[in-house]
Amino acid sequence: MSVPAQFEFFVDPNRCIGCQSCVAACSECDTHKGHSMIHLQYVQRPISVQTVPVVCMHCDSPTCAEVCPADAIKRTDDGVVQTARKPRCIACNNCVLACPFGVPKMEVEYSLMMKCDMCYDRTSVGSKPMCASVCPSGALYYGTRDEIERARPRSEPVNKFRFGNQIITTKVNMMVPRDSTMQHIDGQHIDVTAAMHEEPVNPSGMLENVFDEIG
Amino acid sequence: MATLPKEQDVLIDAFGPHLNRMEGRQLDTGVQPDKVVNTHCCFCGQQCGIQLKVKDNAVIGFEPWYAFPFNKGMLCPKGVKRYLQGSHPDRLITALERDPSSDTGFRPIAYDEAIRKVAAAIDRIQTAYGPNAFGVLSGASLTTEKAYLMGKFARVCLKTKFIDYNGRLCMVSAGAANKKAFGIDRAANPWSDILNADVVVIAGSNTAECAPITTNYVWQARENGGRVIVIDPRITPIARTADVFLPVKPGRDVALFNGILQLMIENDWLDHEFIENHTVGFEAVAEHVKQWTPKRTAEVTGVAEKSIRQAAELWGQAKTSFLMHARGIEHHSHGVENCLSTINIVLASGRIGREFCAYGTVVGQGNGQGGREHGQKCDQLPGWRDISNPAHREYIAGVWGVKPEEIPEAGVDCYEMMRKIDAGEIKGLLNICFNPKVSLPDNAFVTRALGKLEFFTVIDFFLSETAQHADIVLPGSLHEEDEGVVAQVEGRVIKINKAVDPPGDAKEDWRVIQDIAQALGRTHGMTFNSPREIFDELRVASKGGVADYFGITYEKIEANNGICWPCPSEDHPGTPRLFEPDSWNPIAKGAGPFYFPDGKARFNVAAYRPPAEDVDEEYPVILTTGRVVSQFLSGTQTRRIGPLVDQYPEPRIEIHPKLAAKYGIADGDMVTAESRRGDITLKAQVVTTIRPDTIFIPYHWPGRKSANQLTIAAQDPVSKIPEYKVCAVRIRKA
Amino acid sequence: MTFGRVGEERIVALLWGVLFTAILGGLIVFGSRTLAHFDAALVGYTFATLFATFAITYRYSMWLQRPPTRTYWVRGWQLFFSRKYLARNIRNWFAWVISDFAMNRFIFRRDRKRGLAHALIMWGCILAFAITFPLVFGWIHFETVPGDLTTYRTYVFGFGTSSFPIHSMAAFLIFHGLVWSAFLVIGGVMLAMRRRMRDHGAAAVQRFGEDILPLVLLFAISVTGLLLTASNTWMKGYGYDFLALLHAVTVIFTLLWLPFGKFFHIFQRPAQLGVSFYKDVGALEGMARCRRCDTEYAPLIQINDLIDVERKLGYRYETDAPEIEHYQRICPACRRSMLALAQGDLWQATTQTTART
Repeated sequence: MSVPAQFEFFVDPNRCIGCQSCVAACSECDTHKGHSMIHLQYVQRPISVQTVPVVCMHCDSPTCAEVCPADAIKRTDDGVVQTARKPRCIACNNCVLACPFGVPKMEVEYSLMMKCDMCYDRTSVGSKPMCASVCPSGALYYGTRDEIERARPRSEPVNKFRFGNQIITTKVNMMVPRDSTMQHIDGQHIDVTAAMHEEPVNPSGMLENVFDEIG
Repeated sequence: MATLPKEQDVLIDAFGPHLNRMEGRQLDTGVQPDKVVNTHCCFCGQQCGIQLKVKDNAVIGFEPWYAFPFNKGMLCPKGVKRYLQGSHPDRLITALERDPSSDTGFRPIAYDEAIRKVAAAIDRIQTAYGPNAFGVLSGASLTTEKAYLMGKFARVCLKTKFIDYNGRLCMVSAGAANKKAFGIDRAANPWSDILNADVVVIAGSNTAECAPITTNYVWQARENGGRVIVIDPRITPIARTADVFLPVKPGRDVALFNGILQLMIENDWLDHEFIENHTVGFEAVAEHVKQWTPKRTAEVTGVAEKSIRQAAELWGQAKTSFLMHARGIEHHSHGVENCLSTINIVLASGRIGREFCAYGTVVGQGNGQGGREHGQKCDQLPGWRDISNPAHREYIAGVWGVKPEEIPEAGVDCYEMMRKIDAGEIKGLLNICFNPKVSLPDNAFVTRALGKLEFFTVIDFFLSETAQHADIVLPGSLHEEDEGVVAQVEGRVIKINKAVDPPGDAKEDWRVIQDIAQALGRTHGMTFNSPREIFDELRVASKGGVADYFGITYEKIEANNGICWPCPSEDHPGTPRLFEPDSWNPIAKGAGPFYFPDGKARFNVAAYRPPAEDVDEEYPVILTTGRVVSQFLSGTQTRRIGPLVDQYPEPRIEIHPKLAAKYGIADGDMVTAESRRGDITLKAQVVTTIRPDTIFIPYHWPGRKSANQLTIAAQDPVSKIPEYKVCAVRIRKA
Repeated sequence: MTFGRVGEERIVALLWGVLFTAILGGLIVFGSRTLAHFDAALVGYTFATLFATFAITYRYSMWLQRPPTRTYWVRGWQLFFSRKYLARNIRNWFAWVISDFAMNRFIFRRDRKRGLAHALIMWGCILAFAITFPLVFGWIHFETVPGDLTTYRTYVFGFGTSSFPIHSMAAFLIFHGLVWSAFLVIGGVMLAMRRRMRDHGAAAVQRFGEDILPLVLLFAISVTGLLLTASNTWMKGYGYDFLALLHAVTVIFTLLWLPFGKFFHIFQRPAQLGVSFYKDVGALEGMARCRRCDTEYAPLIQINDLIDVERKLGYRYETDAPEIEHYQRICPACRRSMLALAQGDLWQATTQTTART
């Protein structure tokens, strides 16, 4: 059993409404029942309701697996980076600290790292991951490339991310505007490090102005 | 004697809310369910399709129902965790009788005995004080069959005019406005008409939290090139990325829409042909809005003039559009005018009755649409008939097998019923699917009123805060324990399927009602054997009415994933989109697409009135209330589901840093907000995403955490909706 | 990594393998008094064990040479023996060995049935190993006490120790030790197999070689072992030779499989202790603060080591921005936020057209 190649995962945090449906549904998946593996957080609640859902991006060359001293994290042939193998994981936290996307979770009481495995019990038999099934905003979407291209005429998927001088290529895609002009260094990529000093901006810049006028 | 039999904490200890979490079979990854039932979520008006997994007569989990077209498997967190309301430790599985001498305040009694006691009390009160001394409060989360039965039970069995329902707190402003403008009360378009709208206007709808699934439709419109205009005093998640955001001062919506209409007229962004041929009353409205210059509009609404102009420009020049609104503009003492002012800009644009040219209210409750169509409203008979219309009375009397004069006259709205209870006019009350102690405004008054009842009985599955006052509690059914239809936000009639049987002594609500009728010895018309039988009578009762269900059958619903009413005959496919140019309806009879004899829609002058209680020196801050995504209404169900409570455990006061600074309040401080009716002390959440003159408190909690300790019972004169969205408060650091 | 480096690692691992195998071989010769007490019938077992020793040592050595493993191996020992924390570490060592290794507390917390299955298998195996290896290698043998045919004496490495009567309860328990261990293992295997057969989550990720085969092998060893006893006790040795061969095959196959499959965790797992010291002492030595939100998020020593490991692995998470320096210096929560901000920026550029005033 493996995840069919034609199905892909697409993430568009800009659509996220922070409802935590994904968090609720994640714990319903049989490979990690009772535990939610997805991260959903406010980016900076005092000034914005912007939220971000983070699933495992399933890197082609997963840093988490390579820094694992116990060799507990395996990427299956279908490109899914599996959760730590229970007999091996020694709970060192390296993967949690090394993942550039901040994905793995340390379950301290179990001495075990657990992470998003794209609901392997579902996706490996042709179904959809829980989070992307329930997400009511389309921030998380699982389907074919054809479907997403038809459904999202303004968007296009990108699967390269820049952290420092490192470009990471992932199995999971992130949606960006089709006409956006991104820096090209190693193909099209999203420069995450560049957001170091960013703050959430409410795109309607008028907001702050209006509130300023009220006083 | 409907006062609390014990201290609140004793009752909570015994009956909850306790938190149910995944355990046992729900957590076991090796269980094979006996069956998977296609049904719908029990919460909001979106009525998302969901599949429930059932094992040994218990719901053990869910599976997304990908094939249901409205939500395609999508769910909000409430839908995901809804299954945890079954097998709940708080579930009432016996009847209870008030007993202050017992440890818990109630003692379990045999179901039959409870029914006999309820019937005896009804009989005693009605014999002593007349039939109208006993009232009925019902709810819009009931299936349409049950809603229909409640109306019939009150009029035919109890012969009381006093029945009303909790839709009074929800959809009535939109309903009244729709009736005035279109002659029919239903979202005019299916949600698929959002997808290619040039402009989507969302007025007073925290869509992302209260109708989460609609978000995907809106984002999809944007993906297709549409622009989004959001009108709300808070930057809600749907507003965050809006193209134009109008942070309207609570209670000033009429001014805003009149201002937009004035700009449309000024710039001739009008569909003259449509106005000419399909509407009445434009001139009066045009004359009226002249006063709403952008400058004055900006002054009154607290929105920058520039933003108003941008919104008017986007709206005015759009080729297609979808305007939706919700409680944000409806929960006002001028809620009907608010809705009418939005309808005016829709009619002026001529963008209705066509694909992607749309208008609709985002229904709140699960059966908010269906529950307001078939006679559990105080002035209404099935099929959206009017209880004061002799022809309508006669038709329904025929269906019910009674004389027209036997049908009581119109009663009063639910809040007025509380006043009548307080005044001693109503002595006994039966309550189902309603938690007025939490959900009605100024709940100190509501509590006082309930305490004056001679007899109070509640049908419920949990001991809600209101049920705690009951003399007899009858164990009713959960959503998954019965079948029936509901009409969701688009007016699509869909089918709730039964997944499990009611546990213990609990019974389907319609059986409980009929058992009472039988114990009273008034069984006429109350002898249905199944929801299907009730539905078949409802179909006939609605036939020829505006809300015509005659052509809808259970089979047809299942085969088509729902049928939109009106559907006058079995070969009729239903009506997903109202007001299509050549459409026929029983009122216009071909004269035009709208539900008036001339077939034309009505412009209505919407005059601006300030809120009933405006801010002043003594109470200088506006309080507005609303919801959070993880809770639903009065929280009877959602406050018992562990993961949902974890998500947002306690109400907080949202407050802008500028306002907070004025009172020396920091994030996380305890803050007291006080109105003329009550006070509340909660943790402050200091955020820039709310107007600095306004604070927000979500209303899902009871007792000292209830936002409705503060709210005002001012009501719209037409719809009788209470003004939850504006009252004046003062705040201080606690 | 270069080919030369890999070659070097292999040579190192080979040498360690040879060394450990040689030591074991020496101990067998020595412990059995130059094979005087060695049972020639068990030679198959012995060679399988010698092979397993070589292969396990080889794999362990290869594993230890991976940059992350080596870092934590070295750091673990360094921190363990650091004078400042030695007393604390020794205290902790006992606490952790008891709770994690003897009692498997962390597994019981994952799932009680799972914990029980593991504990049964683990203690069954430990008991069986404790009995068989010394016997096979001739390290322990029993002889009757000269002049007293009813008393056995235990010899360890050829030295006589305690003695006990042949028909005592003690003798019964000792001579049937493998029976008891087989029962423990079978119980555990049944529980584990039940889970693997019905659990949908396990079904999705389990692999035959990794997860099922070990259970099958343990079951086969236990059952064939029990059959040997049964044959001996009740069936007058019926089919004993065949059963002995069958048993030997299962045991030898398992020994040969030890270095490759799931069983390798038996040797890997103790590293958890090193990691525990590393985390415990690391936190005492000071925490890293996120360069973006300024909150403490991990022991500084671990972050520094991780940066070092990532460099060795060829990652280039260094940044040109001096305030960040290396992406590792940003906490995971900020990394998630930055991802949203970076993507949101791209979208913002498209929605600003009408919005900015």
